[in-house]
Amino acid sequence: GAVAILPAPQNLSVHSTNMKHLLIWSPVIIPGETVYYSVEYQGEYESLYTSHVWIPSSWCSLMEEPECDVTDDITATVPYNLRVRATLGSQSSAWSTLTQPFNRNSTILTPPGMELTKDGFHLVIELEDLGPQFEFLVAYWKREAGAKEHVKTVSSGGIPLHLVTMEPGAAYCVKAQTFVKAIGRHSAFSQAECVEVQGEVLPL
Amino acid sequence: QEFRFGSCRAKGVDLQELWEAFWAVKDAVQAQDNITSARLLRREVLQDVSDAESCHLIQALLKFYLNTVFKHYYKRTVEFRTLKSFSTLANNFIAIKSQLRPSQENEMFPVTERARGRFLLFQRAFRRLDREAAVTKAFGEVDILLTWMERFYRL
Repeated sequence: GAVAILPAPQNLSVHSTNMKHLLIWSPVIIPGETVYYSVEYQGEYESLYTSHVWIPSSWCSLMEEPECDVTDDITATVPYNLRVRATLGSQSSAWSTLTQPFNRNSTILTPPGMELTKDGFHLVIELEDLGPQFEFLVAYWKREAGAKEHVKTVSSGGIPLHLVTMEPGAAYCVKAQTFVKAIGRHSAFSQAECVEVQGEVLPL
Repeated sequence: QEFRFGSCRAKGVDLQELWEAFWAVKDAVQAQDNITSARLLRREVLQDVSDAESCHLIQALLKFYLNTVFKHYYKRTVEFRTLKSFSTLANNFIAIKSQLRPSQENEMFPVTERARGRFLLFQRAFRRLDREAAVTKAFGEVDILLTWMERFYRL
């Protein structure tokens, strides 16, 4: 009988947050069978100069899940074409290509998580570790009328950092935002958090 | 963080990403370069480039690398690791080049002529070599180019 043609994956889309880019698609369902998927990519250079060239994704050759982390493949701030195909045994489907090329400058940047601790009169901040592409802008001020806002640039997260030596009885507030060099964009500021030298961390 | 070539700006490029891409293939590429007596990006091409010249020069060099060096080198890139690094460099060169707007005013003519002269030195040296050898040498000299570009990268 006629060999059923393996359908190509459908509904491709990229979910990108904080420079982590996840390509997802609808699974190809063949009852009783395991279907595998392979992903390839093409940057603007390839599509302009060598359009026949597609590069296999770093992590997604013949894998079972209908998703692929393409973060390590997207290494320039230009449009990238992405495509997927299904494989079952010796049979492979046609390629399905993302309808709109993906550019990492569209990634969603969320305000960074931060943890404030007191070491005696020292206010210490530890920012969420989001990876090497992230820098942080930390703004802090003494909670009083007309207080001046101070700003510090922090080059990486995950490391406790001395922010300020506090005056007894004063309250200090802190907020932070991320900056991604590779796309030249900031996140929004986080919610400000305040701490009193003797008191507990108070939400603003 | 951006490149500032005189009045030209180029954002959205992480120079570290370019270096890592080149280091990943440097040994393999430079091992293929048998002509050790010649250098394409010689001192006269890149030394004492004024800010005003820099945008014209970098645009010409990136265009040449994209249209000639990378295009021909691609055909010989079979090993995926090389292909990935290669793709990173090529696509970041496109990202930079697409943002450059060199000034075209008439009074800039002496500047553009000096920049053109520097580029022609490079291009003539390239054309003196056999095509395959020239492409290999030019790709192997991307570290010289990145080192020069680094001077214009503002944190």
